[in-house]
Amino acid sequence: MRTFEYVRATDTQEVVRMLAEDPSASCLAGGTTQLDLMKDGVLEPPTLIDITRLPLHGIERRGESLHVGALATMEELAADSTVAERLPVVREALLLGASVQLRNMATIGGNLLQRTRCRYFRDPAVLECNKRAPGTGCAAVQGAARMHAVLGVNENCIALHASDLAVALVALDAVVHIQGLSGRRTVPLTEFYVTADESPERENVLEHAELITEVEIPLPPPSARSGYLKVRDRVSYEFALTSAAVVLVVEDGTIRQARVGLGGVGSKPWRAYEAEHVLTGAPATSATFQDASEATMRDAWTVPGTAFKVPLARRTLVRELQTVSGVTA
Amino acid sequence: MSTVESRPLVGAGVNRVDGPRKVTGTAPYPMDFSVPGQAYGALVQSTVSAGRIIRMDTEEAERSPGVISVLTHENAPQVGTGPTTVLGEAPPAPLRNDRVMHHGQHIAFVVAETPEQAAAAARLVHAEYEAAEPLLDLQDPRAQHLVDPWKMDHSRGDVSAALEAADVIVRGTYFTADNTNNPLGLFATLAAWEEDTLTVHDTSQWPSMVRTTLAMVFGIPESSVRVLVPYVGGGFGAGLRAWPHVILTAMAARTTKRPVKLVLTRPQMFTSVGHRPSGVQWLSVGASRDGGLVALDHRSLSSLSMEDNDYEPFSHGTAFAYQCPNVITRDQQAKLNIAVPTSMRAPAEAQGSFALESALDELAYTLRMDPLELRIRNHTEVDPRNGLPWSGKALLECYEVGARRFGWADRSPEPRSMRDGNWLVGYGMASAMFPYFATPCMAEATVNRDGSAFVRSAATDIGTGTYTVMAQLSAEELGLPLDKVRFDLGDSDMPDSMMAGGSGLTGALGNAVHDACRRLVGLFADLARGDADSPLLGASPEDVEVSGGRVHLAGRPDRGESYADILARHGLAQLTATGSSRPPDPAEIGMSPAGAYGAKFVEVRVDADLGIVRVARVVSAIDGGRILNEKTARSQIIGGTVGGIGMALFEDTVTDPRTGRIANGTFGDYLVAVNADIPELDVIFVGEPDRGTPTGTKGVGEVGLVGIAPAIANAVYHATGKRIRDLPITIDNLL
Repeated sequence: MRTFEYVRATDTQEVVRMLAEDPSASCLAGGTTQLDLMKDGVLEPPTLIDITRLPLHGIERRGESLHVGALATMEELAADSTVAERLPVVREALLLGASVQLRNMATIGGNLLQRTRCRYFRDPAVLECNKRAPGTGCAAVQGAARMHAVLGVNENCIALHASDLAVALVALDAVVHIQGLSGRRTVPLTEFYVTADESPERENVLEHAELITEVEIPLPPPSARSGYLKVRDRVSYEFALTSAAVVLVVEDGTIRQARVGLGGVGSKPWRAYEAEHVLTGAPATSATFQDASEATMRDAWTVPGTAFKVPLARRTLVRELQTVSGVTA
Repeated sequence: MSTVESRPLVGAGVNRVDGPRKVTGTAPYPMDFSVPGQAYGALVQSTVSAGRIIRMDTEEAERSPGVISVLTHENAPQVGTGPTTVLGEAPPAPLRNDRVMHHGQHIAFVVAETPEQAAAAARLVHAEYEAAEPLLDLQDPRAQHLVDPWKMDHSRGDVSAALEAADVIVRGTYFTADNTNNPLGLFATLAAWEEDTLTVHDTSQWPSMVRTTLAMVFGIPESSVRVLVPYVGGGFGAGLRAWPHVILTAMAARTTKRPVKLVLTRPQMFTSVGHRPSGVQWLSVGASRDGGLVALDHRSLSSLSMEDNDYEPFSHGTAFAYQCPNVITRDQQAKLNIAVPTSMRAPAEAQGSFALESALDELAYTLRMDPLELRIRNHTEVDPRNGLPWSGKALLECYEVGARRFGWADRSPEPRSMRDGNWLVGYGMASAMFPYFATPCMAEATVNRDGSAFVRSAATDIGTGTYTVMAQLSAEELGLPLDKVRFDLGDSDMPDSMMAGGSGLTGALGNAVHDACRRLVGLFADLARGDADSPLLGASPEDVEVSGGRVHLAGRPDRGESYADILARHGLAQLTATGSSRPPDPAEIGMSPAGAYGAKFVEVRVDADLGIVRVARVVSAIDGGRILNEKTARSQIIGGTVGGIGMALFEDTVTDPRTGRIANGTFGDYLVAVNADIPELDVIFVGEPDRGTPTGTKGVGEVGLVGIAPAIANAVYHATGKRIRDLPITIDNLL
C-alpha cells in the first residue's frame, strides 16, 4: 500500500524548516487538488504536512489594501464585506469557481497553486508529459485538446492554469507574501507564475522550502467598476473555456484606468497589458473595446481543438468591458 | 373482473414505496453489501489499445502488503462464454489470452485484504506490450464493417427514382458523439462461493441473464447461481450485460476461496460497462412541394469494438416513423479498438431520430412550412412496414396539446428573428417515439392467510419505480389496499423476468403480474364457487371480481367473502399463482404493437456573440399508453429530457486519437447536465391505453430522451440560422 507520513504543523517557520529538510515533502491545505492528485497517483509525497492549523486564516483590511491569509477559504473571501463592496471582480471569480462544497474547503493559497486540469497530466498511465516527467513530450498537443491553453505555451506543453480567482488577482496587481528559511519576501502575482513555454515542470517562482502566507490585494479606486465573465459549456461546475476580469475607471466617457486579466487561455493567469494600453485614455465605446480585444491573443499558439479560444477570448473581453462600463454601443 | 377501459389513463402519483429507504440511506445498493471474510479486488487495465502482452510482471504486486492473489492471462482458469441474448453475443471472457483489443481492457485482477491494498498493488503490476497500430477513427477505411448486423435494414418502393422526381431534396451528414451511460452508482460485484454454489451481488438490470452467464461461464447448473440486485444506483443500459469484471470477481472468489468484492472507479466506468457508440449518418429526404414525403434514404455507420455485439440500428425507426412510399434504411458498424459499446438510454433511436428530425426541420424551412405542420402532413396511422394499424398512437394529440402548452403558434417563423438582449431566442420541435420492445416475462403472486399479498419477479428497479408501480398494479388486480401488498424483485431465484431495458419492463412485467393476479383470483374463485358454505357457490368465473380484499359477485361487494375467510375455511396458509406474458403477435391481434410517442417543444437561448447555448423551456407531450403512476412516469420523462439535453449540448466521451485512451473519463471532465442547466420541464400525458396488451401500458423509460437533441438543434437553427449537424452542439460550433 502507498503509505505516507502525515504531520500536523502549527508554526509557519517550522513548516518551512521541515520542507527544507525533506525535498519530497508536500503541504496539505484544503486538499481539493492535492488529495485528488495523490489518489490518481500523480503525486506521491512520502510526507504530507497539514498546514491548516497555521495562523494564516484571517482577512483584514489595512487602509486601501486587503490582506488575505493564505488559509482563508474561497467562501470566506467571497463573503468578505470589502470584497463585496470594492472587489466585485474577485467575488464573481470566486463564486463562479468550483462548487460551494469545494469552496468551503479550498484555500486562497491553494487556489493560486492549483495544478492544471490537463487529463494527460493527471493520468500517470500517460507516459508523455513534460510537466509530470520532464523530457517525455506532450501527449495533449497531439491528442484531444480543448480545455487547454493558447498563451504561454508551445509544443512542449499546453497545460492551462484553470484558476478563476488568480485571473482577477493578476488584474488587480495582487502581491504574494512568502515565507522562506531566511525570512519573508513579496512577489507581485504578475511575476509569480512561470509559463509552460518557459518551463512545463516549474509553474511558479515559489521555492520548495517556501510557503505563501498571505495575498495582498490593493483596492482599486472607489470609483472603479469591475467584474468577471466566465464562459463555459454548462452553467456551473466547469472550468472556463475563456474568461475576462475587468477593472475600469471611467470619467466623462473616457477610460482613465483599465486592468484586464484573461482566463481559460494561458498557462498562467494572463494579464492583458496590450488591451489596457488600448483602453487607457480612450473613449469608453464598443469600438474601443473591440480594438482592445484585437490587441490581445496575438501570440496565441493553437492546436485544432483550441483554435476557437482566440475569437472566443476576444469576444469574452468585449462583452465584459461592455458589462462593466455599461456601454454597449 | 375489472377491465382496462374502466381505469383512468393516468394512475395515482403514489410516492415511491422504496422512497423512505432511499432517502434515509438504508436501501442497500450493490456496493453496500459485505459478507464475513471477504477480500477486495482491483482491476489492472491495459494502457495500449491494440497488440499483445509480451510480459506480465506481478512479483512486486504479489509481495505488496495484504495481497492474496494476482490473476493474469497466464494463470487464470479458462472459462466458458455466456449466452447470446437479444442484445447479441456475450462480452468476451476476460484473461483468455495475451491479446489487447482496447485501452482499458482488464489484463489482471488483484485480490487483497483491503480495497486500498488491492488498489495499491494493482499499480505495481507491470505489463510490457508489443503494441500494434490501433484502429480508432470511425471512418478509417481499414476498419472491418458489419453490414446489416441486426437484419433490420428496410427497403420499400424505389428510393432513387423517387429522389430524382422529388420537388425538393434535403441531404445531410450527421455526427453523434460517443456518450457514456454514467449512472451515479459505481458498478460493484460481490461474489461468494459455497462449494459449487455461487451467490453474487451485482449491479445489473437483468439478474436472470447474469445468472445464466455465470452458470455457463463456470460450467455449473443455473440452480447453483443466485444473483441479488435489490437496488441499482442507475443503469441507463450499462447494466444490461454481464461484463468481464463480474466474471473476474467470481473467478477470483473461486480461485482464492474467499468472497471477493469489486467496486469500479469512475474512470473504469468509462471503459468497463459500455457506452453509446459514436456514429455518422447520411440522410436524404425527398418531398413534394406541399410537404408530402416521397423518399427517405437513411444510412449509418456506428462504432463497435473488435469482439462484441451492440444493438444500434440507427436508421431503423426511419422505416416506420412517417408515411412515405419509398424508404431505404441501411446500418453498418465499424470494428475499432475501443471499449465495448452498449445500449444507452434510447439506443439507436436517439441517434437516428436526431438525423431524421433535423432533416425534416430543414425540409420545413426549405418549403417555408411550419415544422409542426410538416409532421402532421406525414403522420401515419398504420405501420408502413405491414399496413397494420398501430395498437395505439396518439401522436397527433401530442402535437396538438404540446404545441398549445408551449405556445408554438407565437413563434416568428424566420430564423434569427427573436431576440432578448444578447440572447437570440429560438423555438424548435421534434417528434419522438421509442419502438415497442418486450420479451417473455414471469411473475408470481401469493395471498397469505391474513389477506396480505406478496408478488415477485426477478426484475430490477433501476430508479424507474418498478417496486412502486408493480405494487400499485398488484393491489388493483387483487382488490387490496396498497399497504397490504408487497412487491419484491432483484433476486434471480424469483420467476424469470425480462431486462429493465428497451422501455419494455413495465409492459412485460405488468402483463405478467396481471396474469398472475388473475390466475390467483381464479384459484380463490374456484375454491369458493365449489364450496357450499360460500356466498359464491355456483357463480360463474366471469361474474367474480375482487375489491376491498374480498372476492365477490360483480357489482355486488356484499355477495362474497374475504381472501382470509376462504383460506381459513379450506385450511390453507396461502395460495400462489404464476403468471407470464409474451409480446403480442401482430397477426393475432391484427395490430402492430406500438411504442411510446411524444412531441417535444424546446426554447433555447443562444448568446449572439459568445455562442453559449442554454435551454430555457421544454414541453414534452407524451403518449405512453396507460400510465400506472403519474409521479414516477413524469420522473422518467424528466430524467430522459435531462439526458437528451446532455446528449445535445454536453456529453462527449473523447478518445485520444493516437492511443485510444479515454481523455475525459472523470465527472470533472465528462460533462453531464447539472441542475443549473435544466429549466422547468413540462410533461403532459395524452392518448389512451394501448390496445395491444391487457394492461395497456407502453413504457416511458426512453421516449423522454428521444427528440430532445433534434428539437434543441432545430431551436438553435431558429435562433441563429446555423444548422448544426454534429452532437454535442458546443460554443466551438457557434462562433
